[in-house]
Amino acid sequence: MSEFDAIIVGAGPAGSSAAIKLASSGLTTLLVEKADPPGSKNVSGGIMWGNELGGVLPDWEKDAPLERYVISKGTGLLTSDSLISVDFRSRKFESRKTGYSVLRAKFDQYLANKAKSKGATLVTGVTVDGLALKDGKVAGVIQEGDEITADTVILAEGVNPRVAISSGLRPEIGDKDVAIGVKQVVKLSEATINERFNIRGNSGFAGEYVLGFLKNGVKAGGFLYTNKETISVGAVINVGTLRADNETHSFEIMDQFVNHPFISPYLEGGKMEEYSAHLVCEGGIGSVPKIYGDGYLIAGDAAGFSYSNGLIIQGINYAITSGIAAADTVIEAKSKSNFSSGMLRGYEDRLQGKYVLKDLKKFRGIEEVTWSNLAHKALPDIAEETLFNLFYEEGIPKRHLMEIVLSATKKSGVKKTDMILEAYRTMRRM
Amino acid sequence: MAIKIIVMMKQVPDAEEIFIDPVKFTLNRAQARGIINPSDENALECALKIKDQTGAEITVLSMGPPAAESAIIECMGRGADRGVLVTDRVFAAADTYATSLTLAASVKNLGEFDLIIAGESTTDSGTGHVGPGVAEFLGIDQATYCTSLHIENDALVAERDLEDGTEVVSIGLPALATVLISSNIPRRAKLRLKIDALRKGIEKWDHDTLKLPPEWVGIKGSPTVVGALKIPEERKRAAKRITVDQLGELVKELGGMGLIKTEEEEA
Ligand SMILES: Cc1cc2nc3c(=O)[nH]c(=O)nc-3n(C[C@H](O)[C@H](O)[C@H](O)COP(=O)(O)OP(=O)(O)OC[C@H]3O[C@@H](n4cnc5c(N)ncnc54)[C@H](O)[C@@H]3O)c2cc1C
Ligand SMILES: Cc1cc2nc3c(=O)[nH]c(=O)nc-3n(C[C@H](O)[C@H](O)[C@H](O)COP(=O)(O)OP(=O)(O)OC[C@H]3O[C@@H](n4cnc5c(N)ncnc54)[C@H](O)[C@@H]3O)c2cc1C
Repeated sequence: MSEFDAIIVGAGPAGSSAAIKLASSGLTTLLVEKADPPGSKNVSGGIMWGNELGGVLPDWEKDAPLERYVISKGTGLLTSDSLISVDFRSRKFESRKTGYSVLRAKFDQYLANKAKSKGATLVTGVTVDGLALKDGKVAGVIQEGDEITADTVILAEGVNPRVAISSGLRPEIGDKDVAIGVKQVVKLSEATINERFNIRGNSGFAGEYVLGFLKNGVKAGGFLYTNKETISVGAVINVGTLRADNETHSFEIMDQFVNHPFISPYLEGGKMEEYSAHLVCEGGIGSVPKIYGDGYLIAGDAAGFSYSNGLIIQGINYAITSGIAAADTVIEAKSKSNFSSGMLRGYEDRLQGKYVLKDLKKFRGIEEVTWSNLAHKALPDIAEETLFNLFYEEGIPKRHLMEIVLSATKKSGVKKTDMILEAYRTMRRM
Repeated sequence: MAIKIIVMMKQVPDAEEIFIDPVKFTLNRAQARGIINPSDENALECALKIKDQTGAEITVLSMGPPAAESAIIECMGRGADRGVLVTDRVFAAADTYATSLTLAASVKNLGEFDLIIAGESTTDSGTGHVGPGVAEFLGIDQATYCTSLHIENDALVAERDLEDGTEVVSIGLPALATVLISSNIPRRAKLRLKIDALRKGIEKWDHDTLKLPPEWVGIKGSPTVVGALKIPEERKRAAKRITVDQLGELVKELGGMGLIKTEEEEA
């Protein structure tokens, strides 16, 4: 007999959601987290998109530590001198919330404590070393030489899953699987934030930007999210192009973003409370390993379930959904006393049914577009040149818009054929 | 029979996360996570080393708010056998005198013991009073500023780190020792032991357990009056590169700033 029905490694959104579901269903559950308290080392932008938590906590919107709901969604292109942006605001988001800003230190602790209150054994401040194997099946975890047994182990260790990798359950993480995330939390008064972003009450702003001013082919996206009394601001940097350039450092990209003439006014006078760096999982479906086997399941970032490409970062919602699907699978396995690979295969079926795998498959290769030269360099330059010429009044006869675009394209140095090819690729991937 | 060791442990806010409220000038502890007071980690490690060598039954004793439970579980996860949290509103806001008295009463309530190990001082108040205070209230011998502890022939052999060298003392049991910060490398908690600790749980004692006169504990039992609290002014620093022939000017300048006295002034 195993000591626990399930052991979960990692109390991030994936692990804690799984634990809440398992413990609520009466399964003996051990949730192990290396940080103490949970979340104290975790980093997100972070907007939690969607209503995934409702699957385990129907009342989450009432008692979770949420900062602001997104009423205004900005997307922009930044060049050294300009900002070209769309700011979509809608009162429709008041009644149908699409996302909330969260601070992980509080949010993860809330989720882990929910798991505990539902009956899970929550152990914090302990790092799981590896998996215990019996007859080629996962039979539990190993920590400092001790073996703790369970019928199923759910690996929810996040973006750099050492246990899964060292056990040979998934390959090492490569440059194409991850980006580097750098983030600051800047303190300002609630009133100042409301005024600067033109929002009120607990509504908030979420903006993402292409950092088109970067040199030497380095690519990165920036984000700016409002919390109640802080602003989360950061950059997600493409690893390959950063590695290829010896002159740019990740912190400089961050510096340039926060000091940009049209970003810095939002942050002016604020006090930096936190500075963190973390890997961002973004390999898409190509990075998803086999996510189940005899006695184990992999969920969240550890399984590569994240949708992020320098413009959009979504991972918390996928983590929660996959955690719940993993738990549902274990509950079914328990009812049949069968923890074999064949039984746990149901996990993948469940995810096919949800949007997790569908999204990742549908947007296969989207990173080729969102990390393309077109999106990161040509588009910002062309847009700037076009709009500048369109609005700049110099007392000469007006030109046709198309003429301006064409001359701007020419000036940007992008070959017309490349442009057409990239545009075609973009259309296809979207 | 295994000897009985009591480790006194205080949960303190993580110094890295503490900040002083710029308006109210109070220590904002609410936002910082609670950790084991650093030198108490060393005290526990001393106890665990004795347990490794000769076997021992270790009880962790702490006075504090209910949230201190997690720090006690952490100690049990490292190898302590039992945890007692003395917690009651009436014990709150105790100064070092009342804290020592309440802890001494708790030790008595635990029954027989051979050795009490405390940290030398805490990172949040840092008076260093409590260890010696408990020894005095119990009327037992003590060794302060220790860096290592052994049990030999029913006596405590302690190495004390003093200004002019190391002193090795041997004192009869029962005794109390206070341990310096960084005197050993505290081990990490084990998953197996933490699961066991959570299953076993800790004991919570309140005013009804100890039955001390109310005027002896908490704020009523605390003779200390805080007169004022001041944040030390940040020292202004300045640097200047000079050459030897500019020395005269520098002396004049420093004299003008009132930092040094020049001969003419003295005359
Ligand atoms: C800068 C940045 C911005 C982001 N912005 C957003 C955003 O706005 N919206 C969004 O949805 N997503 C965002 N993401 C992605 C999101 O943070 C992740 O997708 C999400 O955290 C994944 O959840 P998880 O539970 O799988 O992993 P994690 O949240 O990483 O949790 C894993 C947990 O496992 C623990 N752990 C690891 N190994 C062990 C071990 N051996 N033993 C015990 N415990 C262990 C870790 O301490 C951690 O708590 C962002 C990420 C970054 C870096
Ligand atoms: C002038 C002054 C005024 C104060 N006023 C207040 C006040 O108004 N309100 C208030 O809440 N606090 C107040 N305090 C703090 C309070 O007196 C101390 O927190 C408490 O008495 C412990 O003292 P300490 O932290 O200096 O411990 P130290 O004497 O530095 O601790 C030495 C060792 O004793 C042990 N120890 C200490 N405390 C405990 C404990 N609680 N449980 C178990 N072991 C312990 C540990 O092993 C520790 O390493 C004040 C302190 C001072 C100096």
